[in-house]
Amino acid sequence: DDAVPQQKLEIDNQVALERIRQTIQLDPSLPWTETLALTYPEKIEVDVDDDLNRELAFYKQALHSAQAAQKLAAKHNFPFTRPSDYFAEMVKSDAHMERIRQRLLNESAGIKKSE
Amino acid sequence: MNVDGEQPAQKKLKNKQRVMLLSSRGITHRMRHLMNDLEVLLPHVKKDSKLDSKNHLHLLPELADLNNCNNALYFEARRHEDLYLWAAKTPNGPSVKMHVQNVHTMDELKMTGNCLKGSRGLVSFDKGFDETEWGRLVKELFTHIFGVPPTARKAKPFVDHILTFSLLDSKIWFRNFQIVEKDPLQPNGPPQTSLIEIGPRFVLTPIRIFEGAFSGATVYSNPEFVSPAAVRSLQRREKGGKYNSRKD
Repeated sequence: DDAVPQQKLEIDNQVALERIRQTIQLDPSLPWTETLALTYPEKIEVDVDDDLNRELAFYKQALHSAQAAQKLAAKHNFPFTRPSDYFAEMVKSDAHMERIRQRLLNESAGIKKSE
Repeated sequence: MNVDGEQPAQKKLKNKQRVMLLSSRGITHRMRHLMNDLEVLLPHVKKDSKLDSKNHLHLLPELADLNNCNNALYFEARRHEDLYLWAAKTPNGPSVKMHVQNVHTMDELKMTGNCLKGSRGLVSFDKGFDETEWGRLVKELFTHIFGVPPTARKAKPFVDHILTFSLLDSKIWFRNFQIVEKDPLQPNGPPQTSLIEIGPRFVLTPIRIFEGAFSGATVYSNPEFVSPAAVRSLQRREKGGKYNSRKD
């Protein structure tokens, strides 16, 4: 008595998508330092439910891109690494970082205790 | 002022992007924290106050124009539990509507990375984006929105974090890592790049792509997308069905 599941109408207007992309596209002669965008030359192909391997794949992508960016930055003469005497406001506050540190300490203490 | 009407021979090309960030009414604290995380990471974002009406999205391009923005990120909360994200180029489009799931904000203590406030992040896409036409469009759009232009007023000069977008299971997975160039155990050793996650995390399921900004014809729709309300209703019906079959 179940109703036949209605097939959703699929729209994939390739022509329009390409046209739209071309209208918004940034000038290809724009130097890399303007966008800092990178493409990872591999596809992410892992089991979605396998948390560990999935995160590892994302990490690999990020690491590869970061290393590629370092090379590109050197090529473009673009300041990349922050000098150790450059201090400025961070995204996470000192209080928050202290809580993270405390949690790590508590965790390692707990592990030691149980050993 | 150029009095003799002479144009400079080669005008320097610039990536000019500004993003308006706002939400609908009825967002929960978690969604609000996610929004604040994005605001903190993207120095070219201008945050605006909540939009009063969910039916008048056509106001958004005007609002973006008033804020001198040419991009918009709009978080739409439904039923106080479902979150949708609209990413749009204003005023002429396109716009993408996405469903946001698996949100982890930066407040969580498990993510131990940190980065400069306002440093420009690298933006990384995996190859999957280049394989479909809609993927290429989303990549272009996200490059505009998440790539911080060097002219952003609050931008800092160094790079210490990377935003990654990966296409998996036809969903877009977002991660943000700190780039560490020195091994803390060997401060004088050779520089070795490693990463520490900063957060936030979320997964975006594209639902539809529209030709205009918050309007216009649908040029792509995801046939696999099932609305979260439908999923819940199915679950409830299954639960109810269990009782009915027991009763008979």
